[in-house]
Amino acid sequence: MQVKDCMKRNVVSVPSSATIASAAGIILRHRVGVLPVLDEHGKPVGVLQLSDLLSLEFPDFVKLVADVDFVHDFGAVETTRPLPELLAHPVTELMQPMITVGEDSGLLRAYALMIQHNVLDVPVVNASEELVGIASRVDIGTAILSNWSLEAKKP
Amino acid sequence: MSLAVGLASLIFVLSLWLMFSEKLNRSITAIAGAVLMVVLGKLLGFYSEGQALAAVDFNTIGLLLGMMLLVALLEPSGVFQYLAVWAGRVSRGRPTWLLITMGSITAALSMFLNNVTTAILVAPVTILICEILGITAVPYLVAEAVLSNIGGVATLVGDPPNILVASASGITFNDFLTHALPVVVVVWLSSLLLLRFLFRRQLSVRPANPDALFRLNPAETITDRTTAWRVLSVLGAAILLFFVHHIIEVSPALIAMGAAAAALVWVRPNFGDTVQRVDWGLLIFFTALFVMVGGLEAAGVMAVIVRLIEGVGAMPPVMFGVLLIWVTAGLSAVIDNVPITIALIPVVLGLGAEGLQLGPLWWAVVFGAGFGGNGTIIGSSANIVIANLSKKTHTPITAGLWNRSGLPVMLVSCALTSLLYILLFPLFTH
Repeated sequence: MQVKDCMKRNVVSVPSSATIASAAGIILRHRVGVLPVLDEHGKPVGVLQLSDLLSLEFPDFVKLVADVDFVHDFGAVETTRPLPELLAHPVTELMQPMITVGEDSGLLRAYALMIQHNVLDVPVVNASEELVGIASRVDIGTAILSNWSLEAKKP
Repeated sequence: MSLAVGLASLIFVLSLWLMFSEKLNRSITAIAGAVLMVVLGKLLGFYSEGQALAAVDFNTIGLLLGMMLLVALLEPSGVFQYLAVWAGRVSRGRPTWLLITMGSITAALSMFLNNVTTAILVAPVTILICEILGITAVPYLVAEAVLSNIGGVATLVGDPPNILVASASGITFNDFLTHALPVVVVVWLSSLLLLRFLFRRQLSVRPANPDALFRLNPAETITDRTTAWRVLSVLGAAILLFFVHHIIEVSPALIAMGAAAAALVWVRPNFGDTVQRVDWGLLIFFTALFVMVGGLEAAGVMAVIVRLIEGVGAMPPVMFGVLLIWVTAGLSAVIDNVPITIALIPVVLGLGAEGLQLGPLWWAVVFGAGFGGNGTIIGSSANIVIANLSKKTHTPITAGLWNRSGLPVMLVSCALTSLLYILLFPLFTH
């Protein structure tokens, strides 16, 4: 089985001219974790991850202190929201470089790349680098599982 | 001036410049400088491998390594987070009290721990408390950087320059408590007052919801109670031994290494994790600096400097001491205080050989090297570490902001110290 056999073909994306706020709106409406950013020719130039958006509000101390078990109330941080000016910035400022796999790629190669780059979803491209789909760890993981002969051995 | 003096000085000054301009990592600079010095020494015949080895003060290295190992064992247990969270709760979210408690816990901790270590342990919890309270962390972080440098002056083990001076002079742990600690207490309180005034605008903002602070549970910060108690009791025993080290004729280095050995055997940690927390870069920096300055001394540079300032030595000893405080402080404000101290020690010893009373000069170096670090944002490693941590918050500490807060603290500290030094001069002579 190849990546193209388990990927989702209907990809929600955002043009590179969009603002962070409108990209966040798309993520919210479609409940997706990752949003490929496309240039005017439809070529992917990066991805906006839900986690990149949340990092705008997420408190820095979580990464600084060794252990946050003792923090039971995030106090003022709970009600802090990113400034509207920040959300008006272009989405290209927040997007990350894109890790893609070819549609003919094997499942284990795709899964290994996702683990190595610590991403949850991977955009899939064809030979001419055009976005043709997107696959999550669940898509690829369950496709790998489906190759196991789970029902074969019955006593 | 001979060729050896000229070239050896050139290596040292070039190394200082590379460290100061941050063009090269300080440990790399020191390694390269030390090797160059030995090669030059062998070529010109003023310095040998044997002399280079003898120049390394293993007293200082042993004391630093022992204390670093103890902290490395204690750190993952959560004890330091406990203290910082506790200090935050005591303030009940009132800004001025938070400044006092967080600043003072930093000063107290840095009396026994390395200043940088103290800063790394306390600053993240401070950022956490400020974010929860919805206030800017800047005044508290600046106070912590400044007070970690000030607190470090109080004891023999508080800051590397003290260890260096003690090792060279035979000044004991108790001498520090009777000579440096009182000065530190005055400077500590006055610095808090000054910072309260300088940050009066930021400190007048009352946090909207201080209750969240009380839902921080200090007890939950301690992740390993057994280790915490074991290392703390060993550390306590070591501090008791420091008080009597001169009576039982044991070097502070042996006490620190003994405590580290005892704690390691008692706790039996994953040693790989423990050694990773030791600042090997700093230990290498020290060793290489000793070799480099040893070459400087062997080339006769220190003798030249002593002869140059001999004329100055004709001034009254009190005035010479005050001058030394300000010169050392000025140098430590722009360059790391460790190379400054290592280089000043042979000069002071040389002046002693010329008949000057050594005691007051040693204390002048200790005060200048310690308080001087507050002069600029790059004046001490603690400042650099805290400024870097503050970049992760919404209000980073800039060089300009430092010049309006840390620099006044340094100037007032040195002025107060000079005043005390003049008034209590007879005390510093023995």
